[in-house]
Amino acid sequence: MSELLFMLVDDAVFAGIAAFGFALLFNVPRQALLACVLFAASAHAVRSLLLHANVPIEWASFIAATLLGLATVPWSRKVVIPRPVVTVAAVIPMIPGVYAYKTMTGLMTLHHQGYSLALQQQVVENGLLTLFILTGLSFGLAIAPVLVYRNKPIV
Amino acid sequence: MNLNRNEYMTNREDTVDELKSTASKLDTPKLCISDEEQAAITRVIARAGQLLQAYNAESRLIEQTTERLGMAFGLDSVEIALTSKAIILTSRFNDHCVTTTRTMKAHGIDMGIVCEVQRICILVEKKIYDVEQVKQRLDNLAVPKYNSVVVACFVALSCACFSHLFGGDSIVFMATWLTSFIAMRIRQWLTQLHHNLLTVFFITAFTATFIGSFASAFDWGNEPELIMITSVLQLVPGFPLINAVSDMVKGHVTIGMARWMTATLLTLASTLGIVLAVQLAQLGGWL
Repeated sequence: MSELLFMLVDDAVFAGIAAFGFALLFNVPRQALLACVLFAASAHAVRSLLLHANVPIEWASFIAATLLGLATVPWSRKVVIPRPVVTVAAVIPMIPGVYAYKTMTGLMTLHHQGYSLALQQQVVENGLLTLFILTGLSFGLAIAPVLVYRNKPIV
Repeated sequence: MNLNRNEYMTNREDTVDELKSTASKLDTPKLCISDEEQAAITRVIARAGQLLQAYNAESRLIEQTTERLGMAFGLDSVEIALTSKAIILTSRFNDHCVTTTRTMKAHGIDMGIVCEVQRICILVEKKIYDVEQVKQRLDNLAVPKYNSVVVACFVALSCACFSHLFGGDSIVFMATWLTSFIAMRIRQWLTQLHHNLLTVFFITAFTATFIGSFASAFDWGNEPELIMITSVLQLVPGFPLINAVSDMVKGHVTIGMARWMTATLLTLASTLGIVLAVQLAQLGGWL
């Protein structure tokens, strides 16, 4: 139990720092930085917890992003900052970058070394994983405006 | 009154209270808008939309913000057509239409400006700003940028954190930080020279992987390959990818496709850099 807790805290801290770097890269305003880090840390921890409970990664990403999206609504109204400003930087640690690169390198090797079933399998598996995780993340973020606030602006 | 407004203009820090206030500082809106006024209003709205698009706001935000600005200025409606390279905008008042097109000059991602435009829109809705003031403020947007060395440090730290999340030890952490710091500085330098984004991504990915491959040669840390893999994670086009899917979910399918394609090309460019570096390293015999 305490091992799991330690794992989650470790996970949250490092995901938070990772989101902070990208928030600076996206020039997120100063007053939103702390919120961005906290949202990113808790979302990533939620996803790790779900992964630990053997939830498939795309569903775990979807649930984490949904919670993140809903949690940013009251915050965004309070400080009058549109949601994408923090949500995108906050989901960056969950973006399947390694899978995307593996898909592309797989494609290139497929061309370079000729066709093989193992390579094709690698390309398709990684590509689908990238696609579904990304879709899950974006759908999750869109839940709040699409289902709850249909056509009304949040801020 | 004029002086007061100018003073207000120079004091750019909007407080949250002000954004939430309901008090109107301007007179009640005129019920009649002349053609010239309508044209001026349309120009201001188009400028706001252009800014939002250039700094990578999602399409729904562009649509909503332009429409809200138009309503706040007293127009009947604002219709907007978005393409990946331009915005076309028509404002309507008493059966009189003004249409204008603005091309988009991509500026990269800057959430500070998106925030600022959104706040201006809210200030207009609260009747605190009039057209002239909004024009002034949009023309003189001065959103502070973070110091580029600081940004590079923290982006490198992000990559190092990824290496930790993937199970690397402290040596891998340090080496990833150093590799991605160098790569990030090169990226910033190339961006400053206004190079094509694809070129920038290609060269950055090549440098990061090439430097990282030496760590594998010397067998540093528990998993030296992680240094190569995670130091290029700073180049994953997360923002265009997320924007692409959210645009498609909210009905802007063509723009979403364009964004998705951009993101794919950027990933392809970085992958080319990675593959080239790996093959060079294998040719040199240290990988």
